Amino acid sequence: MSDIKGKILYEWLGEGCIKNLQFSDPSQLTGDPYDIAIIGAGVVGSALAYKLSQYSLRILLVDEKFDVGEGTSKGSSAIIHTGFDAAVGTLESRLVTSASLMWHELSEKLKVPFQQCGAVLVAVDDEQYNQLDKIYQKSLDNGVEDVKLLTKNEVKELVPDVSPNVRGGMSIPRESIIDAFSISIAFSEIALTNGVDILLGSRVAAVTESGNSVKHLKMASGKEIPAKIVVNVAGLGSSKIAETYGGEHFDLNPRRGQFIIFDEASRSIVNKILLPIPTAQTKGVLVIPTISGNLLAGPTAEDFELGDKSATATTIDGLELMLKGASKLFPSLTGEPRIGSFAGVRCACKQGTYQIRYNDGLPGILTVSGIRSTGVTSCPALAEYLIEGLKKECGVSLKPDPQAVDSRPESSLPGWWKHPYEKNGAVKARPDYGQIICNCENISHGEIIDALDSPLKPFTLDAIKRRTWTQTGRCQGFDCTMKIAELISEHCGIPLDKITKNGPGSEIVSR
Amino acid sequence: MNSEHKFNVAIIGAGPAGIGVALGLTKRGIKSVVLIERNDDIGGVPSIYKKKKSGIPTFINWIRGRVIFGEDYAGWLHQKLSKTDVRIWRASKVLRIDPERKSITLVNSEKGPLDITANAVVLACGAREKSPVEFGWLSGARSGRIFFSKNLLELIDQHDILPLKKPVVIGSDLNAYAIAAKLKQSGAEKVAIIDNRQRPKSPLFSRLYFRLWKSKPKFHAHVESVTFKGNGAPSAVVLDNGTSIPCDGIVLSGDLIPNSELALLARLKMDIPSRKPMVNSNFQLSEPAIFAAGNILGGFHGAEWCYFNGLKVAKKVAEYVKNG
Ligand SMILES: Cc1cc2nc3c(=O)[nH]c(=O)nc-3n(C[C@H](O)[C@H](O)[C@H](O)COP(=O)(O)OP(=O)(O)OC[C@H]3O[C@@H](n4cnc5c(N)ncnc54)[C@H](O)[C@@H]3O)c2cc1C
Ligand SMILES: Cc1cc2nc3c(=O)[nH]c(=O)nc-3n(C[C@H](O)[C@H](O)[C@H](O)COP(=O)(O)OP(=O)(O)OC[C@H]3O[C@@H](n4cnc5c(N)ncnc54)[C@H](O)[C@@H]3O)c2cc1C
Repeated sequence: MSDIKGKILYEWLGEGCIKNLQFSDPSQLTGDPYDIAIIGAGVVGSALAYKLSQYSLRILLVDEKFDVGEGTSKGSSAIIHTGFDAAVGTLESRLVTSASLMWHELSEKLKVPFQQCGAVLVAVDDEQYNQLDKIYQKSLDNGVEDVKLLTKNEVKELVPDVSPNVRGGMSIPRESIIDAFSISIAFSEIALTNGVDILLGSRVAAVTESGNSVKHLKMASGKEIPAKIVVNVAGLGSSKIAETYGGEHFDLNPRRGQFIIFDEASRSIVNKILLPIPTAQTKGVLVIPTISGNLLAGPTAEDFELGDKSATATTIDGLELMLKGASKLFPSLTGEPRIGSFAGVRCACKQGTYQIRYNDGLPGILTVSGIRSTGVTSCPALAEYLIEGLKKECGVSLKPDPQAVDSRPESSLPGWWKHPYEKNGAVKARPDYGQIICNCENISHGEIIDALDSPLKPFTLDAIKRRTWTQTGRCQGFDCTMKIAELISEHCGIPLDKITKNGPGSEIVSR
Repeated sequence: MNSEHKFNVAIIGAGPAGIGVALGLTKRGIKSVVLIERNDDIGGVPSIYKKKKSGIPTFINWIRGRVIFGEDYAGWLHQKLSKTDVRIWRASKVLRIDPERKSITLVNSEKGPLDITANAVVLACGAREKSPVEFGWLSGARSGRIFFSKNLLELIDQHDILPLKKPVVIGSDLNAYAIAAKLKQSGAEKVAIIDNRQRPKSPLFSRLYFRLWKSKPKFHAHVESVTFKGNGAPSAVVLDNGTSIPCDGIVLSGDLIPNSELALLARLKMDIPSRKPMVNSNFQLSEPAIFAAGNILGGFHGAEWCYFNGLKVAKKVAEYVKNG
């Protein structure tokens, strides 16, 4: 494994954080201003850090959460879209269609599980059927040319248990699924390896400018970090930060998407993404296989006020609605066992999606916001597009770093999707790969230790969940949660009662 | 296949039911029986809870009017088993069964992944507690400190940690009252128990039993929906009638859900959403070589019931393997 050149620090001085990773003083980072500071380690911020880490630049990636990818990026449908239905001619359409072609190769470099399962658009009444031609034409206009209109019988062949009301459909063979949690993690790990410093648990309260055009990230804790260029990709947090540097005004609001998760056993009845015909109001309820082997139905689209904390909660009505919607495409789903639910929040922007502003408010500040529904897909292309812009608009000089790596080593793979015990001789060499801790996903002791030892040194229950898929199966943590808490405690030297779900305030013991 | 990996009967799960099956088979002269358990110790749920000198018994079993603690019960089963020639494979997690080939795939930290075959397979995998979605009437914030009662008991019993001061318990079975007593005894304030039922699920005598520890949890009956509030950790639960109960944590202690995933993944017939495998009067699943025993059959049964059920199932399995 290559040496890790960057620093990983957490702004958390409590006992719940690993001692030598605690960020108590800016001098732990650097005296000189960073070339570029990126605020927000979602898929977009971490993709940007990854791409920028290929150049000789000193970069900082900051996020207020205690892991990367814990904002909008943690609650998506995890589809790599082809962009067949994007608004033709927009930047979003351009970035999504070009990114969709990158993921085959990129997922291999990142060691992120990816599967081109294909999607079928299903029309279940005459009105929907009549729209198929238009959607087909739109796909061609978007440059997605491998779509194919399907007769009723062809749909039934592809999806045997599809609704008996099916009238016809369209196949979109390149729609794919991915492990969306792993994307931000993989990008960040490689960026860290290449020397990007990563600061987590640290909220940027404001960005100001001093002389010599140096900007300062003012943390909520009062600490200050200087940087020459600042990129604000803080998702739902971006508008508030933009106000502090006088960026052009924009309005954001969380748009919730709820999902039902079905048991792994249901995966064998659908292996394609099923898409309804979108109406003017909504994209409708999808049926989506997940890369971890489950099945989802969702999402809703419910608008909340910015700052409303209840936006990530699930509701009984919302889940009922998803079940009803999904069963219109696939009736037998109502009889399949459900194991869980979750909700994600999109970053909806009144001024439109993909808001990108160079030298916003102050020279050398880039604001990126409203990456609402397609960021998981577009992030590698968006990052390249932003780098091009930084060079042109902000004069960033891009000298390739000859030592930079662009892939994750095999060994940092938590491996839940290709269990280590399945590899010849692996259990002989590491008996803990044969010691199952998570009984639903069959994750071993060894994989959890590997996750704890991975570059960002995660130490919360959620961080381990995102890397190993423990606690996500049908028992929802009944069997494994305490064993994992004990493992974290032992391995990281954190007292058991101080272990948290996702940072301070979520300790397993109330004080 | 290695003859070492061919058995007459394979039992998956070494709880009271699986041990009951093993003992029943031995009594009927059936040889070549293997008992496969994923944990390091056999005994199932009763073996998790250690007896504490002054503490409240966590696992209790009423046998002929007497209260038997889990650890003692597991010890008794263990001792009976040690006098037989049943093969016991510990730390062996069964990953899947193939009903057609009558084979079982498991993984073990010494042997790695491994296939075995058997003429009959008994699923004695027990049950777990319902998750919020399985309850069907719980929703809201997905914060920290939402415990299954098993996890909370692990903290109290094994680590001497009292996780909650103002707990809300969802569900009203035996476990809920045991939990309430434990929490109260360890220093928690008043405990609220919430269920969508009219009367607590746990029978009166077991509720009275826990009064020995001066625990009188408040029972909220007929609650049709509960919304969890809070960010990092729960701050309150709000009931359908608008009542808000402040809390610092939530304990889920509802009905049990059978650990029937091996049957589910093999797509054997199953009732949804209860996840009870469908069995005939001989305890056979939709594939005749596969049997089920104990709490995997559904419902909340005590350890003693599961043990006796295991003996009963053993009789049917013995008949099946004898008749070929
Ligand atoms: C229900 C749903 C389904 C979706 N499905 C898909 C899909 O199938 N395919 C697809 O391509 N896309 C999908 N998306 C969209 C995709 O998830 C988003 O476009 C993408 O995650 C946006 O990433 P981001 O990095 O811009 O934002 P975020 O992930 O929100 O990242 C912003 C980060 O900034 C941090 N931050 C905020 N404020 C501050 C501050 N003051 N200081 C420090 N840090 C701060 C946050 O903690 C957060 O981590 C879906 C989204 C939702 C909600
Ligand atoms: C939290 C909790 C508390 C309870 N408290 C009480 C109580 O106080 N009193 C009472 O009488 N009853 C109690 N019960 C009910 C309990 O289920 C029964 O008492 C009894 O233990 C059931 O016996 P069983 O053999 O069917 O299942 P279990 O005791 O659950 O045993 C099943 C065994 O199968 C193993 N297993 C499962 N799947 C696999 C696999 N794939 N591979 C290998 N091994 C596997 C498990 O590790 C386990 O050891 C409680 C149950 C729970 C969940």
